[in-house]
Amino acid sequence: MNIAVLIKMVPDTESKLEVNDGALNDQNFKYMVNPYDEFAVEQAVQFKEAEGGKVTLLSLFSENNSIDTDLRKMLAIGADEIVVLRQEGYRGDKPLANAKTLSDAIKELDVDLVLCGIQGIDYYQSATGTMVAQMLGIPNISGVTNLEYNSGTLKAKRQIEGGLQTVETSTPALISCQKDMNKVRFPALKDIMMSKRKPFENKKVDSIDSNDPITSESSLPPARDGGEMIDGENAEDKVKKLIEKLKMEAKVI
Amino acid sequence: MSNVLVIGETDGSEIKGISQQVASVAAGMGEVTGLVIGSGISEAGMKLSVAKIIMADDTSLENYDPVKYASIASHIVKEHNIETILLGATSMGKDLGPRLAAELNCGYLGDCLEAGSEGFVRPNFAGKVLAKSNPTGTIVATIRNNAYPAGEAWSGSVENYSGEIAESTLKTTDIENVGSGTVELTEAAIVVSGGRGLENAENYDSMIRPLAESMGAAAGASRAIVDAGWVPHSHQVGQTGKTVAPELYLAIGISGAIQHLGGMSGSKCIAAINKDPDAPIFKVADYGIVGDLFEILPILKSKF
Repeated sequence: MNIAVLIKMVPDTESKLEVNDGALNDQNFKYMVNPYDEFAVEQAVQFKEAEGGKVTLLSLFSENNSIDTDLRKMLAIGADEIVVLRQEGYRGDKPLANAKTLSDAIKELDVDLVLCGIQGIDYYQSATGTMVAQMLGIPNISGVTNLEYNSGTLKAKRQIEGGLQTVETSTPALISCQKDMNKVRFPALKDIMMSKRKPFENKKVDSIDSNDPITSESSLPPARDGGEMIDGENAEDKVKKLIEKLKMEAKVI
Repeated sequence: MSNVLVIGETDGSEIKGISQQVASVAAGMGEVTGLVIGSGISEAGMKLSVAKIIMADDTSLENYDPVKYASIASHIVKEHNIETILLGATSMGKDLGPRLAAELNCGYLGDCLEAGSEGFVRPNFAGKVLAKSNPTGTIVATIRNNAYPAGEAWSGSVENYSGEIAESTLKTTDIENVGSGTVELTEAAIVVSGGRGLENAENYDSMIRPLAESMGAAAGASRAIVDAGWVPHSHQVGQTGKTVAPELYLAIGISGAIQHLGGMSGSKCIAAINKDPDAPIFKVADYGIVGDLFEILPILKSKF
């Protein structure tokens, strides 16, 4: 089974979020592999170990090369190769344009399954994967916490309100992976050494126009002020005061 | 003013609260058509608070299927010259929304906090940055739960969908209720969340769950205790979990890491109980109690 895994490089969680004149300052961002995408890589490698085949990692990013080291860690987990599509003016908040570029690249690979993380921890749209599936004309199942493969049939459990929906489909399909799906392995030193020799291709792709909405203004949410600390003679007294405030002041219970 | 489509969701014989919220947002944006897709949905679908409702009611539509549902919605969008398509930011909406946008080759805005003729506001970086946009062409948007009050249930005119339904290889074989009887986290008016201060999984089960149940609340959790395996990921609130915005968020034994705050700081009221007076959770809480949760929780529980 040949599998493509879509990887988004996202600003790491320590990145400082500054807004100047209504625009988010992204000059000093350091990038990392989107955490949800790691579950997709681990799942792909597990399928490869069971079924054979090849795992290709596909990422779309700017011409900035600072991401290569972190991406290579995904090869150490067991993926076979990386193709990074380098696009001038790439932006992470254009799912429609990015899905078009990614789906065109997937068409050139011969894959049975496309895996990705459920969402990027930058813009939280959960959009690109689903859009890629539509553009490839294949079904998608999103927010999957458990995935099984048995001779051409995928069985996925996806999180829904209050439970899990079990969905089956034949390949090819696109699955977006939720956090509970697996435990991402720690690569052994030998795998880390080997990963340095695996193919890492940079491919220039054209920028494209799209109907993605453009952010006209970014802002930081109003800071929440610390509220009132409730004092009391004992626990009973504090609880009583809290409940009174929730009822009378906040009117939420 | 434009033509607006609201895609509603049912829950048994009721229309979901989030769908009524979306309907009330839509009412301010133009002429609204409702679409409800499912099987045996006529009673529930009628309650969607819009003047005109289209029902796609078919046994093959019983469970959500992105391929079939998107084909129906895109058919209606084209037929009725619709420019704005609104859905709730649910497990269905967040999947159907982008698939539909791709099918229509139009923009998509997910999990919006504000939506209206003046523009849309959505959270980036787990709510740490708010992004505003004023899309000009056709747009699909999902609206976060509790961002708007719900519209009243009432019956508009009903017509049945008679267009094509795409073939799909997807087949739902099971719907499993996890922790039945409890309220869904993202839909709850009250969320009671527990963290590492509870010391172990047994205390979560014996203290947080019963308190949540007697308050009619959903039970949430911090990332620390999900990673420790005390509760499944479906309970996690925060950056890599769910974003909630209930009327009341009760944080118990949660220190309040920035990733957690991102998932709950939109709550109307936050109350925190923690033994550490310097815990960051107190910086966002409207009400705080410094104290031993093992002493406080049984007293709190006895009040509900």
